[in-house]
Amino acid sequence: MRAPIGPATSPGISRRQVLAGLLLLPPALAGCSTAPVPQGPDPLIALADAARTDAALATAAITASPNLADRVQPLVEARTAHAAALDAEVARLDPARPSTTPATTPAPAQGSATLAQVRAAVLASGEAAATAALDLPAERVGLVASVAACCNAYAEVLT
Amino acid sequence: MSGAPPTGPPRLTKATQDALQGALAAEHAALWCYSLIVAFLPADQLGQAGEDSDAHMTLRTAVEKSLTDAGTPPVSAQPAYSTPQPVVDGPSAAALAVVAETDALAAWRAVVERTGNRGLRQYALDVLSAGTLRCARWRVVVNSPPAILPFPGRAGPAGPSEPAR
Repeated sequence: MRAPIGPATSPGISRRQVLAGLLLLPPALAGCSTAPVPQGPDPLIALADAARTDAALATAAITASPNLADRVQPLVEARTAHAAALDAEVARLDPARPSTTPATTPAPAQGSATLAQVRAAVLASGEAAATAALDLPAERVGLVASVAACCNAYAEVLT
Repeated sequence: MSGAPPTGPPRLTKATQDALQGALAAEHAALWCYSLIVAFLPADQLGQAGEDSDAHMTLRTAVEKSLTDAGTPPVSAQPAYSTPQPVVDGPSAAALAVVAETDALAAWRAVVERTGNRGLRQYALDVLSAGTLRCARWRVVVNSPPAILPFPGRAGPAGPSEPAR
């Protein structure tokens, strides 16, 4: 596999610098979180569904363009692993929930996906996971943080 | 969020401070690793090593300042570190970069887990994403697929003890 990874240029650096400033703010200014008890559906359900959708989309992209397999098949495997890990965490807190998740978003038709669509999907998934991670309790946030970092990394290289 | 200066020391919990100290220790170690491996890396990898070293320098400075502002003395670097495998050539040097980046990912994931401060969490999440890319580049060099770890920062079989293939 060749290195499809672009140089870490100015966007990352400037954002890091901005956030370096944030890091130095006292919590009162930076925004203290202590997440309230969440109401509504477990946010990890949507993240698991997104992982399944991304895996299906990436598979479709490979079907359409087999030469993408080297770059995209690892993403299929990562997103499939994400779905399984997120499902397990959802089930841990709600064992009564049916394990077979009704897909709220249908899998895309085989052969219809492009690399750009895969990248857009995984970029959105990374952002969604990072947003969710801000408010999750400590014992759940590590998994979601890893999912976010993985998705963000793929979004950087799949261009 | 504009330039309002902090009016007092940030309130970091003990757990958060400990996690930041862990991240700082990992940054110290990473910087030491990069300073070692540049003597062994081929010329076409020196630019990458320099960029990555600079990134760790930035992180080290930021964490040291945060801890100092919180009233906690930041941990110092060790004079030297033991490497899992001897560094004797280009491939073993790149393998050490993978170890350093993988260790740093674990330390920064711990920061995410041990703070409820959204600003610090966001910062650590960004560090995780950037570190995942750094790690991926070195995993490509040592031909250790997948380049991008599926669960960056998670301890597991893909950890730093995994021999490079």
